[in-house]
Amino acid sequence: MSRRTFIKLSGLAVAVLAASRLLKRPALGSAVSSGEGVITEKWVPTSCLNCATRCATRVRVVNGRAVKVAGNPLSRVSEGENCARANVGLQVLYDPGRVTTPLKRTNPTKGRGIDPGWTEISWEQALNEVSERLKALRGKEQPERLLLLCGLNTVSAEDIIRRFADAYGTPNVVSADGLNNEADKAGEWLADGHYTQSAYDLERTNYILSFGASILESYKPLARSLRMWGKIRRERPIRAKVVVIDPRYSITALRADRWVPINPGTDGALALAIAHVIISEGLYDVDFVKKWTSGFDEYRKLAIDYYDPEAVAITTGIPADTIRQIAGEFARTRPAIAWRGRGATSWPNGSYSSYAIFCLNALVGSIDIPGGVTYQENPEYRLMPEPVEDDPAREGRARPALDLRKTGRFPAAKVVTNQVADSILENKPYPVEMALGFNSNFNMSAPGAGRWDEALGKVSYYVHAAPFISEMAEYADIFFPLTTFMEEWAYDHSPPGSGFAEIRIKQPVVEPLYDTKSNIDIVFEIAGRLGGTVGQSFAGIGDDAQGFVRYRTAGLASWDKLLEQGVWVGPDYEYYKYRRIFKTPSGKFEFRSGNLESLLKEKGEEINSLTCLPHYEEVKFLGNSNEYPLLLSTYQPLLNIENGSQNYPWAQEMFLVMHGAGWTNFIEINRSTAQDLRIKDGDTVWVESRFNKIKARARVFEGIHPGVVSIASGQGHHAYGKWAEGIGVNPNEIIGVDYDRLSGQAALYSTRVRVYRA
Amino acid sequence: MARWGMVIDLDKCTGCQSCAVACKAENNVPHGSPEEHERRTAPFWHKVIAVSNGEYPAVRIDLIPMPCMHCDDAPCVTVCPAKATYRREDGIVIQDFRRCIGCKYCIVACPYGARSFNYKEPEEKEYHRPDLPPERADRGIWPFPHRVHGVVEKCTFCFHRIDQAIREGKKVGEEVVPACAEACPAHAISFGDLDDSDSNVSRLLSSRQWMRLREEMGTSPKVFYLTG
Repeated sequence: MSRRTFIKLSGLAVAVLAASRLLKRPALGSAVSSGEGVITEKWVPTSCLNCATRCATRVRVVNGRAVKVAGNPLSRVSEGENCARANVGLQVLYDPGRVTTPLKRTNPTKGRGIDPGWTEISWEQALNEVSERLKALRGKEQPERLLLLCGLNTVSAEDIIRRFADAYGTPNVVSADGLNNEADKAGEWLADGHYTQSAYDLERTNYILSFGASILESYKPLARSLRMWGKIRRERPIRAKVVVIDPRYSITALRADRWVPINPGTDGALALAIAHVIISEGLYDVDFVKKWTSGFDEYRKLAIDYYDPEAVAITTGIPADTIRQIAGEFARTRPAIAWRGRGATSWPNGSYSSYAIFCLNALVGSIDIPGGVTYQENPEYRLMPEPVEDDPAREGRARPALDLRKTGRFPAAKVVTNQVADSILENKPYPVEMALGFNSNFNMSAPGAGRWDEALGKVSYYVHAAPFISEMAEYADIFFPLTTFMEEWAYDHSPPGSGFAEIRIKQPVVEPLYDTKSNIDIVFEIAGRLGGTVGQSFAGIGDDAQGFVRYRTAGLASWDKLLEQGVWVGPDYEYYKYRRIFKTPSGKFEFRSGNLESLLKEKGEEINSLTCLPHYEEVKFLGNSNEYPLLLSTYQPLLNIENGSQNYPWAQEMFLVMHGAGWTNFIEINRSTAQDLRIKDGDTVWVESRFNKIKARARVFEGIHPGVVSIASGQGHHAYGKWAEGIGVNPNEIIGVDYDRLSGQAALYSTRVRVYRA
Repeated sequence: MARWGMVIDLDKCTGCQSCAVACKAENNVPHGSPEEHERRTAPFWHKVIAVSNGEYPAVRIDLIPMPCMHCDDAPCVTVCPAKATYRREDGIVIQDFRRCIGCKYCIVACPYGARSFNYKEPEEKEYHRPDLPPERADRGIWPFPHRVHGVVEKCTFCFHRIDQAIREGKKVGEEVVPACAEACPAHAISFGDLDDSDSNVSRLLSSRQWMRLREEMGTSPKVFYLTG
């Protein structure tokens, strides 16, 4: 049923209506009051960037003002839908606190809450000054001392920033991924060689077993999950069943058929106990396991010998009968998905837990089948020529990276975001002389946030690019005001989920409101000013943001068609590609990781009988349990906007729907725990870890494990924003620094705290 | 004459609040502030509420999207001394800003908390667009183009959309629906003619278990929730 009419898909075509026509309509009131005469309106296809899903949207523009965001029915990823974040795009564009012109710092002292003494400068001056600095650093043949920090950017901006780093000669491009899903990705890599989050074929599955995956709030691609949720519940003959394992009653748990609270950090043990049941009861997919997997015997022995449901019941706090029941359901209801999320994987044992959970999919044959795990196709953007290299670029890029990725410390890591602050502070492996941040805000979003304040204070020249002032922008020497995603050219695609590829084109829905530039344009301008091989590397790929988008998407469809439709959808997904998909030494799905074995051998690291198998390691928590009896966890509510700001009234006033609360966050605490601590709902309490303490409002809550307290992320801004500053608290102020060793993923939930009335 | 009603499938709803935000954008409903939130005076025409039951670990929280229920026997209509609130022939309960005297009887009378009082001066609405009634051009004319300080406001079932659709011969409930229904990514919200046994809402109600909120009040709401 098409209940949405797709009006005026003709995108840029402008409908002009005379007001006089409107006046003739029989209406209850005087409909048109002002006498401007003509109303122009158009729908412009573009896409959102309030989270990494980057949904296709259409924006309604009336008299030059964006007034409404809606989905784009041509998008197959979200099937024309959006989530609430997309609507908030209007408030991102019209945020009254946006920076309107480049700024330069006059106060040399840097620190939290210290006024930078901004003075307005021209783009010419700002770009020249930054380019001179970059030139000088490269002139000293130390290009690796340039650090590029990336928050949430468009895929096109990520591509251009990476290219700049390569041409300039620095290995130090650091994204926020190391704070989110690296252990999740490593888990899949251990099994099948794909260092990626899994694409789950939600639409066709009959059973979802979620291990800490916030499918309805923060997991990407979100709008697709929301759409498919409706589909799997009530738009097919079979209603899919959903079971959620999580210490906290999340929105996903609330909407699931069953919530099973678990002792935090023990998801890996549970996954292996489920494997134990499935194998011992002979419920696994013998055919698939025999034909397309390797290492099964070792895995079976491990699961059978060490992960008896009775034993694991003690570890996880989940009764053995429940484990058996879930395992039986999961194995018998096919196709089924074991879905791992941040709640299960952002731990010091994260990669192994992720691996253990992922293996359950192979046990029941849910690999590359309809309703199982699929392998995301990436869009085929037009390839760029290799960047032009000179000696400084080659040598700089060959230096070890600041985040210690791929070293003995973090052998499998692609990016270790949170390590960078310590590397800066310790000048290891070398000092950072200059940093450029694109929409990053790590001194809010990274655990041990205070270290980032120190580190940024130490960087002698910092340039920040964002549409608004943020906590990180406070440390900038130069501030580049960016356009918002509603005003710029870019291309984008979603994280894994749909299987098939899809590209979205971002085009300005309104003219830039202020004297701002897109980050792509800024990089082109800087590269041009640097000249030499850097300049050459940026020649012939489009010259500016619009040209670059056009260059990279050439060959997919005509430019006019891309602009008119806003999306390009790739061919349908093909299942059962077993001969091609496994990137492992055996060419099969590996229950014993050959990829890890060869990596560790190459690094000369020790390998014991467990190292390459999915197994459970007990988490060492930060803080002892006598002094700090509770574990602090965090979660991302849907209306935590991911661009580094929270200065959006719509997002604020609906922030915590489950608590009927807005404009705040809480320390959520189980009722019985609160009673023991004599804490009442609404009390102001101290939440104190070994590292720091914060004052928060208590919310006595039935939906949380008695040994856990939880704080929603996204609040606690202190640098800026009429609707953000001073609202709620930032749990990262008190969370300690800890990592998953293999992937370098920040361990987000292993900090112990005590809570007491303030 | 149709009798418009809404059916919200709580099994499909994901609690994402797209409905609530889309309503704000569509109807130019001002946002609140921390203070208004604390006083519970922040204006909403559509809000997702949480209802909590049980104790850990057997807790159960329901998230319920709440537009105006457009009751067939609406207490707000009965109590309004100014006839500012009335029921249209098609069952939509309307608030005429120009007749409203701001006495708030209706806010007290409404068992659903569906009504908001507009304490805002127009210039407070920093993000909004005083020059543009919502969706003026393609969705029909909104009858009260100016927000007025000191009156009561509420959900209209997006009657500007419905009226426009009827004028243009479009199918209400299929081609045109209220903004909340249109924005729902899970397709949990359906809209249509309750008196037409062939409408999507009637079909849903005859095939599924449903409930209405505060049935015992005898208000005969026209918003139905599918449960089983």
